[in-house]
Formats: sequence, structure tokens, C-alpha cells
Amino acid sequence: MSTLTYESDFSSVVSGARPLPVSKAAAELRARGLEAFNTQGLPTPKQEEWKYFPLRSIADRSWQPGESGPAVFEEDLTWMAEDGLKVVMVNGQLDRNLSDLSAVKGLHCGSLASAYVEFPDLVEPLIGSIADIDNNPFAALNTALFHDGVFIRVEKGAMIEQTIEIVHVSTGDNQVFAPRIFILAEEGCSAKIVERWQTDGSSKSLTIPVVEAKVRERAVIEHIRIQDEALDSCHIGLWESDQAADSEYKAYNIAFGAEQARLDQNMMIGGEHAVARLDGVVCAHKNQIIDNHTKLDHAVPNCNSFEIYKQVIDDKASVVFNGKIFVHLDAQKTDAVQTNQALLLSPDTTINSKPQLEIFADDVKCTHGATVGQIDEDQRFYMMQRGISAEEAEGLLVYAFAAEVLELISIESVKKALEARLYDKLN
Amino acid sequence: MLEIKSLTAQVEEDGKQILKGIDITVRPGEVHAIMGPNGSGKSTLANVIAGREDYEVTGGTMTLNGEDLLEMDPDERAHEGVFMAFQYPVEIPGVSNTYFLRAAVNARRKAKGEEEISAMNFMKMIRDKIKLLDLSDDLLTRSVNEGFSGGEKKRNEVFQMAVIEPTLCVLDETDSGLDIDALKTVADGVNALRSPDRMFVVVTHYQRLLNYIVPDYVHILKDGKLVKSGGKELALELEEKGYGWLDEETAAAK
Repeated sequence: MSTLTYESDFSSVVSGARPLPVSKAAAELRARGLEAFNTQGLPTPKQEEWKYFPLRSIADRSWQPGESGPAVFEEDLTWMAEDGLKVVMVNGQLDRNLSDLSAVKGLHCGSLASAYVEFPDLVEPLIGSIADIDNNPFAALNTALFHDGVFIRVEKGAMIEQTIEIVHVSTGDNQVFAPRIFILAEEGCSAKIVERWQTDGSSKSLTIPVVEAKVRERAVIEHIRIQDEALDSCHIGLWESDQAADSEYKAYNIAFGAEQARLDQNMMIGGEHAVARLDGVVCAHKNQIIDNHTKLDHAVPNCNSFEIYKQVIDDKASVVFNGKIFVHLDAQKTDAVQTNQALLLSPDTTINSKPQLEIFADDVKCTHGATVGQIDEDQRFYMMQRGISAEEAEGLLVYAFAAEVLELISIESVKKALEARLYDKLN
Repeated sequence: MLEIKSLTAQVEEDGKQILKGIDITVRPGEVHAIMGPNGSGKSTLANVIAGREDYEVTGGTMTLNGEDLLEMDPDERAHEGVFMAFQYPVEIPGVSNTYFLRAAVNARRKAKGEEEISAMNFMKMIRDKIKLLDLSDDLLTRSVNEGFSGGEKKRNEVFQMAVIEPTLCVLDETDSGLDIDALKTVADGVNALRSPDRMFVVVTHYQRLLNYIVPDYVHILKDGKLVKSGGKELALELEEKGYGWLDEETAAAK
């Protein structure tokens, strides 16, 4: 239990949670979530995992249960993927009017609440089967609150060409939103998913999503998460996946937004010859605090994982990277690469970088490297000598720094949109 | 016209004086070679013209066509027409050569109040010019200087020069690390740019380059001062007698 007390214990948020779909299993899961949340309590800075993510500014605020969002936004919705399937979630609930869910063969994509009603036998055992809510109080709180979300099922062997783009919009102030997303990628399927977290203009909201992905044998999934909320919101998420043999799961985390943002990304590789990518681009400025904790479990032999995290930090922003890789005793012939690079653009920035490799197998290749640097003066001078202004030179260099990760994204329109967004944010 | 008068400069970091009073005047159409032993200050001179902040100018003046270069940042000097071919061209991973060059060309156009060059015209221009330096087209899509061989880097410098079309070209030991074939290619590229209104300052340790880029004037720099100036024959004399000859001459004068 916490030794520190905060003004808010989220009890009013829990008691005011929106109604669930008619499902005994979902009700049980919510009860289990509440129990896990009460057992853990809110973390204090004394807990190593939360040391650099000050919760007081969040936990001392008076939070209310999330309410339905408006029918009309102040800002126009934009889409990154060309000709993609469009899913719009407003304040944690699917908005059918704004979504474009044309039927695609081999794919089900829709509201989680509806899925509980439509195919309970499929959904009930899945939801909550991957996320570890006993070691993450906010994931537990999500579980105690969840009432809707997105359920995606890519059927066995289905090759989905269209990108599935989910835009979550949070609106209003002082509300807590707890959407739940589940992705089921069946044997041998392939799909591309873009998951965006936005606010409608400014929003002093707290969004605590849980995303679970089950990637079965031979499935190939590219999943891009883009958190770009307004700078007065807070975002604390859990993203957890479970991979079977011969699968490929490329998980990209782009974190640009929110006043305080934290993501715990846990990947379990549980089948041989699987490949996992977990890469990140973080761009923090002003007073932003962006904390990414990644955890990768190599539980079986002969798997590869790649992790590149690039962090651009300006003004007084503070960034945390904690990258755990566990290579279990049985996981021989593991090949794991982790790189973490931070680029500091002002003297008042903070970076806390902690690679953490625990290797129990004896025949593995694991490398990691963490660097912190500034703009290279020789590069800047070279560009200026060719007539490029100091600002543009800096912009280009920062962009090039982040591009190493953005280049990995295979959806051209999304990559372009992200590059433009990064450029915007830097200027 | 480039006019350098009584120029003195020191290393910013430790205050060590490198240039101890330099006077050079380069008129349009002229090629001036700056020669000198290691540590004489010739690369410093090139970098001071380009505006590198590692050096602090402590005295004297430097103007290009009447404009005070010392008041300008490196990018503003570039807009005035100053170009330096680097002794050690810098690698910029993640920025393609084409993108970089187009940004450079457009920055200069913008400074002159001209419109940006269209992508099509730009591609046509660089494809024409890259042939001049015998560089393969794929260097255009690769990151600036990344993974280039030493020779490719130097040729890329001259290629950039051909694209940017500067008024004043400063070549900082462009011949170092080049074999004879690459040297000829680089020299051909430079010679193709020679014109009645363009100026060249060629910094080199060896006379060899000057067989191919024939200078109008040769200046010998030693310990931060110009100790001798003359025509192209001075380079040959130096080649024959070596830099030690200067010491003897200086000693004899005393």
C-alpha cells in the first residue's frame, strides 16, 4: 500500500463508472480490476518504477467519471492513412456516426461493448487475458472502469490491405476515460493498425487505456500507436501483447503529446521463430513529462527482437526510458537488440534512461546501447556553410535523428503525416 | 572582390593565436593558391573566411564585394556567395544529398528574393552536374557523405559547388587523400567552374593539385603570416626546394 496519500483516490470515478454491456464475464472482470486497483493503491515516487513520473500533480486533482462526448468537435478530425477503415472513439465510446466501418472480408472491427453481446464465447475469455493488471494500478483502474472500446478480429489467413485507423478523442475537463482495445490476429493473417490518441483542442482529461494484442501463429501485424494529445491532458496507458510461433509483431510507439504521459509496453514472445519490433519516437517540449517503460520477454528459443527508441527533448521537458529485456532460461539463440538515443536541444531538459537486460540463457546475442547527445556542431556548420539557416539546419538534423525509426513504418501516408507532424512540433 | 586586410584570428577555446596579420586581395576571375607547411594556419584561413565559430577574429577586415563578411553568420556568407569545400566533409545520416542540396539552393534563392526552384528543374540541373564529377546517380539518394569513400566525399564537395554556383570558392585541402585519377576529376570539375566573375582560394599542402588547377597567384603562409607571394612558378620552386627553403631564406634575410 502507498505510504503517501493523495487528494484523490478515484473512488468517485469508480462509483460513477458508466454502465457495462450485459455480460456476467465483463462484470466479473471489472470487479477483479477494482480489487487489483485497491490492492496496489496509487504508486509513490519511492517505487522504482514510478520514480521519475510524478503522480502528485495528477493524483491530487479532483477527477470525475467520464461522460459522453459532444456530437460535434471544435477541431476537424484528420486521418493519416489513405483509404483506411475509420474507427472513432469519443470519450472512451465508439461513435458510429463518425466511424466508417465498411465490411471487409476476414475482418471484424467494432465496439467492444457490442462484441460482448454479439460473440460472448469469443470475447469473454480474451479480454483481460493478456494485460497484467496486478502490476500496474492504472491498468487495474481501467479494468474497473471499462465499458466500451474497440474489438478487432483478423480471421485466420486474412490479408487485410486497408489500414485500420482508430482515433480516440478525449474532450472536456477533469474526466477519466478508460477505453479498452483488443486485437485478435488469428493464424497466418496480416493487418496494419494505426491507433491515435487525441484531444479535441485543449482538454484537462486523464486517459488510461489498456490495449491487448493476441498475435497467433504466423500472423504479421504492424501496429502504430500515436499519442498526440493537447499539452494539458494526462495519459497513462498499458499496451501488452502476446505472440505465438512464427509471428511478427511490429509495435511502434510515437509519443508527442500530453502534459504528462506514461506508457508501459509489455511484449511476450511465447512461440519460437517469432520476430518482435518495439520502436519509439518521443518528442517532448515545454514542461512535458513523457515516460516509456518497455518490457520484452523472450520466453522461448530462436526469436528476434529489435528495439530503437529515439527521444528529442527541448525546453524544460523530462523524458524517461526504461527498457527491460528478459531472456528466459529456455530462450537459447535469442537475438535481441536495444538502442536508446536521446537528443537534447536545451540545457534545461532531463532524460532518465535505464536499459535493463536480464539474461538467464547462455547461448544468446543481446546488445544494448544508450546515448545522450546534442546537435552536432560540425554538422550544423556544414549545413550553414551551404546557406541553410541555423534553425532549419537544427530542424533537419533532429528530423534525421527521428527518421531512423519513422522510416521503419511501411504505410507511406502515415509515415509522411508523422514526418510533417514532427516537423510542425519542432518549429 | 575579396579583400582581407591585417586579419588576425585565434582559437576560440584556448586563445591560441593562429593568424597574425594576413593581407590578400582576390579579384574576379582569379585563382589564388595558399600553400604552407602543417600548422601554418592555411586551413584556419579557409575556415575563418567561411565563418567557423571555433575561431575568433581579433583584428583586421574581410570584405566580399564591399560587404563585411565578419559581421555575417556562416549561412549569410553563403548567401553572399562564399562556398568552402571542406577538408573533412561531414556525414549527415538521415538527410539525403538531394534534399540537402535543394534546401541549400532554395535558402540562397530566398535570401536573394527569388522563388524556390521547382523539383523538376532542380533534378534536371543536378543530373547534368553530377556527370561532370563522374559520380553515380545513387549518391543523390544516399545520406550526405554517409558511407562515401574519401574520393567520393571530395568529389561530392565539388559537385555541391557546381550546383550552388558560388562567387567565392574556397578549397580546403581538397586534394588530400585523392589518387591521381580522382585528383584530375576534381580539378576538371573546378576548372569547369572557372569564369571571369568567380574567385578561387585554393588551400593546399602540395604543389601537385596546382598542375591541374593552375593559379594566378601563389601565397606561402608560415606561422600565421604570408611570407612570400608570387606567380604559379613559386609553387614549383617550393616543390623543388621544400618548405625548409623558406627557413633558410628567412634566416638569410636576418
